[in-house]
Amino acid sequence: MKNSLLVLFSTVFMFLVTSVQAELELHISKTTDDGIPIYIANISAGIPGGHNGIIEADLKRSGRFTIINRSKIPNIASYGETLNTGAYQDIADYIVRGKDNGNGGLFIELVSTSDNAKTNYTITANENPRRPAHKAADLIYEKITRRKGAFDTRLAYVTVTNSTTKNRTFRLYISDSDGHNPHSILTSRRPIMSPAWSPDGSELAYVSFERNTSAIYVQNIFTGAKRLISAREGINGAPAWSPDGSYLAMSLSIDGNPEIYTINAKSGALKRITKSSAIDTEPAWNGIGSIIFTSNRGGKPQLYRTSANGGGVQRLTFDGKYNSAADIANKKIAFVTGNRGAFHIAIRSVSGSGKDMLSNGRLDESPTLAPNGAMVAYTTLRNGQNTLAVVSDNGKARQFLTSPAGDVREPAWSPYLHK
Amino acid sequence: MKNSKTRLILLPLLFSALALGACSQNDKKGDQNEGAVTSDQGGTQSGTIGSGGASDTNSSSTRGDYLPNQNANNDPNNTNDLTLAGLNDPNNLLSKRTIFFDYNKAGIRPEYMILINAHAKLAAKYPQLKMRLEGHADERGSREYNVALSEQRSQSVKRIMGIQGARSAQIKTIGYGEEVPIVAGHNKDSWQQNRRVEIKYDNY
Repeated sequence: MKNSLLVLFSTVFMFLVTSVQAELELHISKTTDDGIPIYIANISAGIPGGHNGIIEADLKRSGRFTIINRSKIPNIASYGETLNTGAYQDIADYIVRGKDNGNGGLFIELVSTSDNAKTNYTITANENPRRPAHKAADLIYEKITRRKGAFDTRLAYVTVTNSTTKNRTFRLYISDSDGHNPHSILTSRRPIMSPAWSPDGSELAYVSFERNTSAIYVQNIFTGAKRLISAREGINGAPAWSPDGSYLAMSLSIDGNPEIYTINAKSGALKRITKSSAIDTEPAWNGIGSIIFTSNRGGKPQLYRTSANGGGVQRLTFDGKYNSAADIANKKIAFVTGNRGAFHIAIRSVSGSGKDMLSNGRLDESPTLAPNGAMVAYTTLRNGQNTLAVVSDNGKARQFLTSPAGDVREPAWSPYLHK
Repeated sequence: MKNSKTRLILLPLLFSALALGACSQNDKKGDQNEGAVTSDQGGTQSGTIGSGGASDTNSSSTRGDYLPNQNANNDPNNTNDLTLAGLNDPNNLLSKRTIFFDYNKAGIRPEYMILINAHAKLAAKYPQLKMRLEGHADERGSREYNVALSEQRSQSVKRIMGIQGARSAQIKTIGYGEEVPIVAGHNKDSWQQNRRVEIKYDNY
């Protein structure tokens, strides 16, 4: 067990959500036991699993923490009572205690056992009762790792039922980043694809074939209001917001073959960015000045970079016959890499070279980075079904989010939430 | 190697469908049941096309290639079998509406030229006829890339139909990527069936 990955196949927790929406099942594939040892005391709460359960699960899936079993410190002093941290120094580096404030908010205390340094947080209530615990996990994560936490975020994803029959149904879902609180914002008998979050987290761009041809829409996730962005002749695909929300990059074939364009989100002004006789698609913004995209201009799909104004095209990937579907956050790039007929998720720094492999499925695709770049969600095949997977960027923690109802795929990780 | 294998798998069925008789490539391939194109292709084992096209192609090509050549299409008047009723007649080649592709390729396999030409000539004969060429990809690789690939497949078919006299305004192309598979499996046979362009006529 030492320094090895603890594999917990088939550990299934059914999510208890009151909603009638399709619920996801969490399967933990692996966690790390060589992470930072941290003990989370019980935090009273009226939600299933408790706030402490949510914080533990968040820290676990970061691949950076090892949760100390509560039985190792029985009868720990309650929040507010004196804690003799020296006694626990050999068990955990950190101890978290807390209590709810009676209104759905939380008081959280983080103690370092090595120097008894205490940090206290007050977290206000939210209409989503799980969010205060995610916020607590973010604060704990940031304090200890000095990197911003990204647990209090959302996922968008697409589900498909009856995929090969006339009754096939596509749904666009939004959930918390751990798969809880799923709710559908769009249902269609025709394909829905490629959800992409606006940088303020309030809107989703996506591709819908509801007009029997592809079109890009933007929908407000709170009001449901939806507007058509592009329904030009040919492909309207792969929308991606610029980091400042001013532009959407996309792939259009209006000029004959798929090229990257940007469209001004306010004025609708269209600008062509790439010019090649090959496929150019899957744009991802690398800051506001540059775009990374997939092109087969060299014969096989590879990643390229261009100025966001067009020109200055450089090839980024040379290793392997298939590299595509870049997603970028915090100067890291996650992408699909094909090797000997299998497709895996890889990660590298935008400016670097080489890559670290993050997945080992046969047909992994659609990587999306958490806004801090420390976790990647993607689609994999599990028991013959499209399933979401979430892996830490160090590869040490992985979990699957499956739906008993059918395929779940194309996750899109939201930016940081601001309310 | 993968490509030549899948091509060989499909050849026998097409040949028999076209009633072209024996052929050297046909003999090479023993296992006709391995073919990916199975039941939902209708099980039709015979069909006819305007006789000029089929017989001339057969005699002019010893390699089993059906690339367009002058002989194959030198009799534009001989379109007796190219009727709208033929679209739904299982004994007519026009009832076949699906063209299959190699992995990550949008090029037309030579054996599909006759089928595409038949539909193109039908469109040329009936200028009011409108069709959609719906391109699809298998599940491998990334989804938006597959949308682009599948649109290129439908455009490949449209280009050939244009050469044969179909008008651009009659044909709409669309790429569905890997979003609408016809079979659900995650193996070579399923992938072959899903890499396709479907010819869909308005009202037929």
